[in-house]
Amino acid sequence: MNFRVVEELISSLDMSMGSGFSNDNQNNLSEWDSCLLKIGKYRDKSAFKSLYEHFAPRLKSFLLRIGSDESAAEEICQETMIMVWRRAETYNPESAGASTWIFTIARNKRIDKLRKDSRPLPNFNDPLFYQKPIDKSDDILQRTEEEKKIKNVLKNLPPEQAKLILSAYYDDKSHRKIAEETNLPLGTVKSRIRLAINRLRTQLEDFEG
Amino acid sequence: MNKQNTLTLVETLLIDYANGTLPLALEVLVETHISMNPVSARSIRMLLQLGGALLENSEPISLSEGSFEKLMAEIDSGFDKDREINNNVSNDNKLLPLPLRNYAQDIDSPKSWKRIGIGLSEQAINFGDDFGSTKLYKISPGCSVPSHSHDGNEVTLVLSGGFTDEYGTYGPGDISIQETGAVHKPVADEDGECIVLAVNEGPIVLTGPVGRLLNMLIK
Repeated sequence: MNFRVVEELISSLDMSMGSGFSNDNQNNLSEWDSCLLKIGKYRDKSAFKSLYEHFAPRLKSFLLRIGSDESAAEEICQETMIMVWRRAETYNPESAGASTWIFTIARNKRIDKLRKDSRPLPNFNDPLFYQKPIDKSDDILQRTEEEKKIKNVLKNLPPEQAKLILSAYYDDKSHRKIAEETNLPLGTVKSRIRLAINRLRTQLEDFEG
Repeated sequence: MNKQNTLTLVETLLIDYANGTLPLALEVLVETHISMNPVSARSIRMLLQLGGALLENSEPISLSEGSFEKLMAEIDSGFDKDREINNNVSNDNKLLPLPLRNYAQDIDSPKSWKRIGIGLSEQAINFGDDFGSTKLYKISPGCSVPSHSHDGNEVTLVLSGGFTDEYGTYGPGDISIQETGAVHKPVADEDGECIVLAVNEGPIVLTGPVGRLLNMLIK
């Protein structure tokens, strides 16, 4: 991880403070990436409130769509947002955008909930505790380009494919439910999802701009 | 299992990792695998970014009244239960990939290994749940694991060295998947010790003549 780059970034943020978050486009950071950095550095509660108002209702809706019930969705939402506040100082804009980072925390919180009774051991590999050295050559530009591409390709997907892609994130129970409803073996359901993901990967590779 | 089917199953494992539905043993296996395999690491990165994009695109649904205030009150109370979880990485096992280090006993200590055959030792890993069984196997150069079949799927990840079985040759970071009923006899490469992590959904059934004897002993 290149700390110098992050340092430079944060100091450039300092200069643009007070003029809103959206002036950081020259750094390719989204409004929410900058907001997270600000929360991490200054424990800024009003920035946190904006972030919460943007992400918590989206996260709740996303969790409902992938199989959580109302109360579980709200609980995971709250636990995720608390974690966002507490771990904002470890947020590294080189490895993930705000929405990817928040998704990853929510993923872990959902696992904790599903495993509550059967998992006395913590998973030491929680991405919140390690920045995984996934790819040493990463930089913010590459990361933001990747995320932008995904958003653009998603926008243009036919509804059927979009539904399949979303179902990749369903919990086990919801996968079994699809299998029952469509009268297909669970393996076939999973294999369709895998093919949809592979098709998306190809679309990403072919996508220009 | 042939390479194409294995690739297919690995892709499914990666998707299940990203959506968080794997049992802990397989979650740790996948994390260890992606720490060794840049192609799978890129897949996971894409899947997490995709999750982020789907989250961002979701139609907002309001939380119940006063949720934010409740959250701030909890934050201001200052109690952070997650801080109490011990997240220090063990100093032992520097030779093992990071994701596995805390779960395995010191692989350099002979006491951590149980000899189960000629040039073959094992170490059980306990993930604190009742999912199948997880073991590290250490195979001396040129030695083999007795021919065995699987009662339940088995996912094997090579941590160091390499082995060859009826279906292919596997090196560090490679995954081999054996489906229920498949029989194979892995032989470690001649040029060094081979250590693998094997996650099994059900008990292993030894099939050779010696194996059948061992089955009786294991029971």
